[in-house]
Amino acid sequence: MDKENLKFVIVGHIDHGKSTLIGRLLYDTDSLPKGKIEEIEQICKSLGKDIEFGYVMDHLEEERDQGITIDTAQTFFNTTKRNYVIIDAPGHVEFIKNMISGASQAEAAVLIVDADEGVKEQTKRHAYILGMLGLDQVIVVINKMDLVDYDREKFETVKKELLGFLSGINIKPSYIIPISAKEGDLITGKNDNMDWYQGPDFLQALDSFKIKESAKNKPLRFVVQDVYNFDKRIIAGRVESGIIRKGDRIKILPSGEETTVKSVEEFLKNVTEAEAGKSTGITTEDKLFIDRGDVIVHDRDVPVLTNHIRANIFWMDNTPFNKGDILWFRCATQDVACEIEKINRVINSSTLDLIAEDADEIKNREVADIIIKTDKPVVVENFNTIEELGRFVLRTDDTLAGGIITELVQ
Amino acid sequence: MITVLAIDALEYTLVEKFDCNNLKQKYYGKTNISEFSEPRTMVLWSSFMTGKNMEKEILAKGDKEMWNTRLDIKDTFFDQFENPKIIDLPGFNYITDQHDQERKLLKEFFDVQSEEEKDQVRVEYNNLAFEHHRKIKEEFIEVLEADHDFILGYFSVADVIGHLNFGNRTMMKMIYKDLDEIAGSLKNQFIVLSDHGMEQIGIFGDHSNYGFWSTDFKDLDNPGITDFAEIIREMR
Repeated sequence: MDKENLKFVIVGHIDHGKSTLIGRLLYDTDSLPKGKIEEIEQICKSLGKDIEFGYVMDHLEEERDQGITIDTAQTFFNTTKRNYVIIDAPGHVEFIKNMISGASQAEAAVLIVDADEGVKEQTKRHAYILGMLGLDQVIVVINKMDLVDYDREKFETVKKELLGFLSGINIKPSYIIPISAKEGDLITGKNDNMDWYQGPDFLQALDSFKIKESAKNKPLRFVVQDVYNFDKRIIAGRVESGIIRKGDRIKILPSGEETTVKSVEEFLKNVTEAEAGKSTGITTEDKLFIDRGDVIVHDRDVPVLTNHIRANIFWMDNTPFNKGDILWFRCATQDVACEIEKINRVINSSTLDLIAEDADEIKNREVADIIIKTDKPVVVENFNTIEELGRFVLRTDDTLAGGIITELVQ
Repeated sequence: MITVLAIDALEYTLVEKFDCNNLKQKYYGKTNISEFSEPRTMVLWSSFMTGKNMEKEILAKGDKEMWNTRLDIKDTFFDQFENPKIIDLPGFNYITDQHDQERKLLKEFFDVQSEEEKDQVRVEYNNLAFEHHRKIKEEFIEVLEADHDFILGYFSVADVIGHLNFGNRTMMKMIYKDLDEIAGSLKNQFIVLSDHGMEQIGIFGDHSNYGFWSTDFKDLDNPGITDFAEIIREMR
């Protein structure tokens, strides 16, 4: 049986050892091409140094540049439990854009902090972004413990400082682990120097994380794309989450009318159900007014209809947004006019600097925490509950911004 | 004390790419060597230390003999200092045996036919260059503690290794980072200077037609390599 995959991202201050940790993980899990680590070790030795695992990343980048490795932004390794994909974000802008657009979705994050230097401004900014993107499976590693003589007190000081900051932005790390990526302490098994630490090592912690729940196990959300009148009236759409079955009692939103699924239609196939990810058609027992943009749900699991949404957006157009501009909000096939009622804060996606609070403008490549008011109620979800209805775009003729919903404002 | 980190074939674009902040210092750029017909190591370093274009004079010695050039200190700006220390500089006190051996192996690499033989020669060549680099580095760090008013350390590793391995970016980065570390360890005012850079030809490297300079005290704009004799004299 194929092993499952878990995608994660490593963030933190630039000099706190991200590349070394990745190199060490690849080395300790035997995921490097034969001969390469020996070559790196040999050159380090030739230069009179100990092996530096950070150069493993340079080697992988070199292979990508030369087209030897096809994948351009991901690094792979595996444990006995599962396969891991490290999403290698070349910069904050790409990372945030990919996360918000869904192009590359991390399910977990590792925040790396230097034991000697402690929490830096960049550490805080990265942590803030993790919170903003709704990542709740987070490991904090306090790295370079070798440089502080594996001192417990030093670890506790950095841990306390970091937790103080993280609690203020609602991030509760699953684990805080002292490591030395350079020496391999507490990465996978080896712990010769920190017997005062009793928790899991890094890979054990990672293995304990859950992979993203399959959308088919979530409540039904069938978004209507069109209605066709042939010899029977077929409602075509896509099952974004859950499973729709023949005989199910369903509710049509926003009208709230109820009926029963008479059949599930698939071309040249005799089926009785369709699950998440499937574009399909259904017929209903009653002839109701159903239109593109409606969302069909089970009557036992009805979502909130709302016209107030709190969201984080990534502005990706040269034309800035100015307060008062009318936009279109598109989520699945729902397309309604909207306005941005409040811009809580705006952040530079490159430097992660806070640009403004209670702002009037959002410019290209800026990230903003906003409140949207739609003209009509829409069926949306918190991004962390049902991702498929928690992601949207804002547009005029062109797409201007992508966003994820963080809160449904009642 | 004035220190010059003289690095053969330090390539401007790689200093940028690998973010070698110590090598870059506050002001940095390319040196102009357009007055020379080709970027030849012996010609360029000889011109640097005399402050005049030595191309004609050096080339007149012929391909083989030019490597034995030993300029008198009186013909160089080193003479302006009371207790200068120059390490392994081409045209002055170059360790001829070492560099002869490197050139011999380089020739052998291109002479042998099979890939296996080439790999063997490459390993031998790289080992020789790295071993020499370690020795020079050690000596350089040692003399920094001594009582000299001028120190010049010549580091050939980027050039020698680069000729056979410039396409191996990981290896080159490791070398550049090591050189950057050396620059980072310097406490006093220093100049970083290279005779020329290097351009990639497959896995190999050939001299590019500009050098590199950096200082922490003055923007030198677009200096020629012969300008440094005067710049350093003024620094005294």
